[in-house]
Amino acid sequence: MARDFEKLVIVGGGTAGWLSAAYLAARLPELRITLVEAPDIPTIGVGEGSWPTLRETLRIIGIPESRFLLECDASFKQGSRFDGWRTGGQDDSYLHPFTPPLSGSISDLLALGAEGELGSFADVVSPQAAICARDLVPRQRSMPDYAGALNYGYHFDAGKFAKLLSRHAVQQLGVTHIKDEVTGIRAASAECIEAVSLRGGDHLDGDFFLDCTGMAARLIGEHCGSAWIDRCDVLFNDSALAVQVDTLPASPVASQTVGTAHEAGWLWDIALPTRRGIGCIYSSRFTDEDAARRTLLDYVSACVPEQDVEALQPRMISFRTGYRESFWRGNCLAIGLSAGFIEPLEASAIVLVELSLKALADSFPATRETLPAYSERFDRLFHYRWERIVDFLKLHYVLSERDEPYWQAQRHLETIPASLARQLRLWRDHPPTQLDFPHSDELFSAASQQYVLYGMGFPAPRSGSSGDLGMVQGEVARVREKARALTAALPTNRTYLDALRATQPADPREGEFA
Amino acid sequence: MANHQTLTPEEHRDLRILTEPGVELGDGVMATLIIPEEFRRVQSEFPIVFRRTQEGETFVPLALFGFENGENLFLSDGRWQARYRPLSLAIQPFLIGAPTDEGSEGQVHINMDHPRISTSGEGVRVFDEDGGTTPYLEQIAGQLGELHVGYQGTAVFIEALERYELLEAFTLEVPLSDGSKQSLVGFHIIKEDRLQQLDSDALGDLHGQGFLLPIFMAVASLSHFSTLVERKDTALSNG
Repeated sequence: MARDFEKLVIVGGGTAGWLSAAYLAARLPELRITLVEAPDIPTIGVGEGSWPTLRETLRIIGIPESRFLLECDASFKQGSRFDGWRTGGQDDSYLHPFTPPLSGSISDLLALGAEGELGSFADVVSPQAAICARDLVPRQRSMPDYAGALNYGYHFDAGKFAKLLSRHAVQQLGVTHIKDEVTGIRAASAECIEAVSLRGGDHLDGDFFLDCTGMAARLIGEHCGSAWIDRCDVLFNDSALAVQVDTLPASPVASQTVGTAHEAGWLWDIALPTRRGIGCIYSSRFTDEDAARRTLLDYVSACVPEQDVEALQPRMISFRTGYRESFWRGNCLAIGLSAGFIEPLEASAIVLVELSLKALADSFPATRETLPAYSERFDRLFHYRWERIVDFLKLHYVLSERDEPYWQAQRHLETIPASLARQLRLWRDHPPTQLDFPHSDELFSAASQQYVLYGMGFPAPRSGSSGDLGMVQGEVARVREKARALTAALPTNRTYLDALRATQPADPREGEFA
Repeated sequence: MANHQTLTPEEHRDLRILTEPGVELGDGVMATLIIPEEFRRVQSEFPIVFRRTQEGETFVPLALFGFENGENLFLSDGRWQARYRPLSLAIQPFLIGAPTDEGSEGQVHINMDHPRISTSGEGVRVFDEDGGTTPYLEQIAGQLGELHVGYQGTAVFIEALERYELLEAFTLEVPLSDGSKQSLVGFHIIKEDRLQQLDSDALGDLHGQGFLLPIFMAVASLSHFSTLVERKDTALSNG
């Protein structure tokens, strides 16, 4: 029986395009996949932090972990640390690690804290805090690929990642790569794209199209006319200045992304083995480019003293926070920045690509006449997901006590989504639970909400504790013991990554043609 | 002379030990010493045999991993293919040091020439940053203590086996699937028919000293010779 969808055309390279090509080729080998990308369009390459989900994605694609680490200059990411978000004071810092909190009642735990027996939330509920504080890795080299003693994702060079995926997709998974510019779209109707025309004069037929053209959104926006739902009213940031700073060979490599709040936004700091990606995100309503540049350079000179900051030339990125009214129109699905953009506060860009691909591959359309049902289902699910991201990122701001105009404005009631306001009322009574986040693939589980909520000093729930704190005390002791054992057993990121390079110096492309 | 040192937080603050299994880390051995107290744990995975000491005066119990010197069939792809790792392997590169004065506890010594001594920054710390013991060292100290007691008890155990003539030499010759033959000589096992014949006084004596359980564990362990042969066959067919 002939299938209605055999030829899949991906428009646009970059992380989204190549991740789509490799993942779909691995999951759906019966598809004929072609990726077309213009040879000279620069990729954005801001999203250099992943979630733990990328381990499973890479395993499915068939790339060994050490190869990914080596070829993408990757390091391990075990969570995010937020400095200066609550008050901006000296010791103002909390961690949102990937490993969930201890099992047991959070209410009882917070009651313990009220008795003054505890330190910071993440330190008490997860052994990962002790590991991150010492720049240690989440795994040992003798463990099987993608296995860890603690949950982890990666920091990596996005440009190199796209190249690795491209080589693997073309050479191992049979993806066709066309380097040409898409100049037009041929369609029978707005809901049915038939082909894209190329600058070289040819056109490329397809049964199904992925729009991975980034913010340009050539297919889903320009052609399909899917409207943009703007969320700048909730999340104010609209600009970023980004730099790459080379680091000294033996310098420590941090175990988490560090997000440091400033008067009108925040700075990201992502440590790779050879460099740090640092950027200053801000709202142009509250500060200007010169002030943001100063904030950025001051941060760099404090953190990387050997760097001559005046020699740096930060790259300016402007963005709009929001997403498409419809991600899937007819036979076209938007994946990546074409679908939407949100500041990388919780590194949600790549996981959204992964979730979109999983949703597509788990239930790939079989017939044309059913397309509207697929589209309706996908849009409903991903609207929910985008809204949960908006809520969760806003949570980071609304709990702040900082008093600069930007931070005060973040707490204005009219900027807080009704869904988040409702949650916050519930959380006065009860800690976040699965009841608040009932979907199977929630982006931010109750555990994540707890890390931010109690990291920011949210008060203990009014529902009170069970009165018997013995069990939670036992759990706290167990976490402490596990932290002791792991602290002893795990090497530093620097040691691990250097040892990996020392033992695998071979040509990284070896085996590619086998 | 091996470089044995007394372990101290001052000398060994940043010492790390490579704990993963590996031939190059000293696990490429066909057998390891065991103590009667761990026979129950050993018999769930390995054959228990006895070998005459080099001086020839007594015997030592062993867990058997292979058929020839250097062959450990429980190691493959850098993994330990069994649920149990006998104590004398698990404690490497540590040793039991003699107590400095009478009545004090034994010290933890370490062989600084052992391949498990890490120089790369990987491996498990023995002391934490403040010089306190790590859970790893606490575990090792426990195991060394168990071995220390066990070694002392082994002599009495072996004496009893000899007194009741419960050891017999044995030779194993097994055909492998590639047509070759694998033989094993120079070991003793528990003489089962002699064990059957022991009278109640003898059994009572052995039981009173807690030796009956390890004796039967050693008998039960011999079923693992077939496991060993299977592993050898697999190793052969994997080239």
